[in-house]
Amino acid sequence: MRLNLGAASAARERVSAAKRNEWYWAWGMIAPTIIGLVVLNIVPIFQTMYMSFFKSGAFGKGNTFIGLENYRRLLADAQVLYATRNTLIYMVCVVLITTVLALLLAVALGGRIKGKGTYRTIYFIPMVATPAAVTLIWRWLYNYRFGLLNHMLSSLGITPVDWIDNPNAAMLSIAMVGIWSTVGYSMVLLIAGLQEIPRDYYEAAQIDGAKPVRQFLHITLPLVSPTLFFVLVTSVIAAMQVFDIVYMMIGVTSPSYDATVSLVYLFYNNSFKYSNKGYGSAIIMILLAMILLITAVQQRLQKKWVNYM
Amino acid sequence: MRTKLISLLLSMVMLLSLCATAAYAEAQPVTITYACWDSNQAALLQTVADEFHAANPNITIDIQVNGWSDYWTALEAAATGGSLPDTFWMHSNNIYYYGANNQLMDLSDYIAKSDLVDLNNFPEGLNAIYNIDGKQYAVPKDYDTIALWYNKTLFDAAGINYPDDTWTWDDLRAAAKALTKADGSQYGFCAGLHNQEGYYNFVYQNGGQIITADKKSGYDQDATIAGVKEYFSYVWEGLSPAIYDDKARGEAIQNGLCAMGLFGSWNLSGFAANDFMKANFDCAVLPAGPDGIRSSIFNGLGNAISATCAHPDEAWMWVEYLSTEAGQKRQAELGIAISAFNGTADAWTAAYTGFNVKCYIDMVAYAQIRPYSNQTSIWEDKAYELLKGAYAGTDDLTAACTNVASMMNEALMAE
Amino acid sequence: MRQKESQRHRIRSLHIPMHAVLVAISVVMVFPFVWMLLTSLKTVTESTRMNPFSFFPQVSQWVNYATVWQQNNFFQLYLNTFAMVILRVVCALLFSAMAAYAFARLHFPGKGFFFGLVLVQMMVPTQVFVIPQYLMIDGMGLRNTVFALVFPGLVSAFGTFLLRQFFMGLPRELEESARLDGCNIGQTFVRVMLPLTHSGLTALAVFTALFAFKDLMWPLVVNTNTDAATLSSALSKIGSSYSVNYPNLMAASVLAVVPMLLLYMVFQRQFIEGIATSGGKL
Repeated sequence: MRLNLGAASAARERVSAAKRNEWYWAWGMIAPTIIGLVVLNIVPIFQTMYMSFFKSGAFGKGNTFIGLENYRRLLADAQVLYATRNTLIYMVCVVLITTVLALLLAVALGGRIKGKGTYRTIYFIPMVATPAAVTLIWRWLYNYRFGLLNHMLSSLGITPVDWIDNPNAAMLSIAMVGIWSTVGYSMVLLIAGLQEIPRDYYEAAQIDGAKPVRQFLHITLPLVSPTLFFVLVTSVIAAMQVFDIVYMMIGVTSPSYDATVSLVYLFYNNSFKYSNKGYGSAIIMILLAMILLITAVQQRLQKKWVNYM
Repeated sequence: MRTKLISLLLSMVMLLSLCATAAYAEAQPVTITYACWDSNQAALLQTVADEFHAANPNITIDIQVNGWSDYWTALEAAATGGSLPDTFWMHSNNIYYYGANNQLMDLSDYIAKSDLVDLNNFPEGLNAIYNIDGKQYAVPKDYDTIALWYNKTLFDAAGINYPDDTWTWDDLRAAAKALTKADGSQYGFCAGLHNQEGYYNFVYQNGGQIITADKKSGYDQDATIAGVKEYFSYVWEGLSPAIYDDKARGEAIQNGLCAMGLFGSWNLSGFAANDFMKANFDCAVLPAGPDGIRSSIFNGLGNAISATCAHPDEAWMWVEYLSTEAGQKRQAELGIAISAFNGTADAWTAAYTGFNVKCYIDMVAYAQIRPYSNQTSIWEDKAYELLKGAYAGTDDLTAACTNVASMMNEALMAE
Repeated sequence: MRQKESQRHRIRSLHIPMHAVLVAISVVMVFPFVWMLLTSLKTVTESTRMNPFSFFPQVSQWVNYATVWQQNNFFQLYLNTFAMVILRVVCALLFSAMAAYAFARLHFPGKGFFFGLVLVQMMVPTQVFVIPQYLMIDGMGLRNTVFALVFPGLVSAFGTFLLRQFFMGLPRELEESARLDGCNIGQTFVRVMLPLTHSGLTALAVFTALFAFKDLMWPLVVNTNTDAATLSSALSKIGSSYSVNYPNLMAASVLAVVPMLLLYMVFQRQFIEGIATSGGKL
């Protein structure tokens, strides 16, 4: 029943019709993705959370409710502490170095330089290699007695390093593999982001006499910041979930196990090897909480340094 | 008279229709899946599967291979969903988990009814692994033991006699000393941090135990500690490099770093394909302990059938075929593994003529079943973690072993 | 004039050391792949021999490739893998583009919450989803199908996040003028905004293909039948024996990797040198 009210309220009605139209469009557009995510991922996450309050029985049957016991055990477990520390150290090292390196490479390969297509392909190759091949190759590179790295070190007169079994070197070794295999990802995204910056800005800056470093700081960085933000957020999330590299190179018998074991590795051992899914689920919950926290902080800081147009 | 004739006719018709349905049922093509984790063995098993198919044209065997850790993940997912493969390999680490939780078919009836399969033909220790509370959940398929591998070339160069069945711990040590070079380019022995292919053997050779008959830890027994000490001392005294990684032990002998090492029979297909090993290496039985006790750790896989198998009879026909004397002999001939059926193992030795692999079979007479419990992986891994310090020489061994014992007892009580 | 010349001179003199660094990094990046190729051509003995070590095989064992190809039905594996990859890419592009636009440009209640859900999916390791998703597929009776392979990738949180960033970087003027011209939201999206994210879509296609291709555990668990398996199963199989045949494993890895590499080489020009609009950015 439409009453003929004043012009203002009629205007308000028109506005809310348009708004509602926008809402319907929006909900419709996000529906497939959200429904898919809820069914495929969110429900399992809740199942995992639920599972973390149980001592799991075999094959999903016979779970016994134990409340917060898994979490209590977790807090007292030294290995969980090591895993947390290792995961955080790995994340900070790898994300920092990879992003800086990728940015420099992106800048170098974004300009007028011969063979940039070739370089871009080559730098992306590590992303494409299968984990089996990657581990094999790096294990040989890192081999204490026969590996190439130590061979090169000793020819330079430096004592060989036990890359894998020395707890002090192991995290560095793992981080190197991590950086090597993911710099291609960050680089490719940053190149795409840099591509979009209009040349006019640089030309104007050059005419004004700005040096390359200044151009980088005042034009490149701010304008590539949305991409950079994306790269940082996804790299952090991926780094916190490190598993394959550590799992395939360092076993329980290695002296560096405690210095490199990651949270996902611990989860894998507990859930799949020791059949203690309840405890494994609790570990995942802790990991999720940490990642949520870090991402939330990044989202907040976004307003300070990311420039959207 | 008429009624008799009619009833005779009727029963004949019934009989005929029964035969017809039985024949019809038999004639329906059935695919039985068979999951395993070794692609070398799988390729050879395909030959056996083809022969089985020729004999039973309506049954096709689909062999599915996954890597060791993927195998168990996939199996667990399948079990949780109720869609296990029809037949698959079982291992002592996981038999309890699957058997006691109703995932495996109880084969006792099938075995009892079968003329071709008799558990007495298999080593009792292997049968026992796959028997839970009187129910047999898998039929033994093969076994493996641990032998001493030695580099003949290095022995010749140092002028030492090859290891044989008279060797004791002292002989091993003396040879290791003679074969270790001061500059670290060559070690006499490869004493890697490994239980089955390492210190377990020494423990039992010294009369110690890892796990007692009443499910308690044997790590705190003096004989056990002394056995571990003998093994670790090779590293402490520089007669062996400190090797932590499983694969690195094979690499050590294949690259001439170590002159001797302990290796299980499953390594044979790899060794036989390696020219360096073929040219320089041979194997012998393990040396005896100080009191003359001989021991070698042995373990065996089993063939199991899923409890939810849609075609249990056909699945059993396949497992039965694999477990008969003929089937076991065939597997041995093809070089798949040391067949478990008593007496068929010799056929396996014929497949590896370059090495003295007969020593593996000789050791079964005194072999010790690999220590296991309901949830072996948990305390095995933790044991490694607690022993690494002692292995490296930074922790006291007696203290470490005592820790392992208490950890293990806790784990065993929780099972 | 002189200023420009000296500036150009300064930039040119940087080129040689820069190339040197780039080449050095290239060697580090590509060396493992080269090593993979070389190992695939060695014999088993050569592949484990480290002392003395030789880079090159004595005699190139091309037969390794033939062996590996025959022992695994690579043709079927390629087919299944590509079907999985292509379908996942299509789904990712379709659903993520829509959702990304909505998150980037539209205002609606629950926006923050729903976007939070998108982010949360990325934060949980994929191993957590394996068994629950397996049970879903099993419950539907769809194991050993292509759908099963595509299932985890039906929707893409990563894609939604990536494209959202792209959309947020586009100038609002274009949308406003489209709306003034009378386009509704859907038409604006399809006719105006979507074409502008050409680079983003290509980037997403490449990454989705890559991540799908590297998803090794899921296909192993869900498609156990040999005719429904993907390349990952061949790799797991060959790497599975007690004594791994390294040359064969490397040959299989090369066979598995080459299509992916070719795909990337073809597309990298597309999305890096994509149509750059004036003022448009990531």
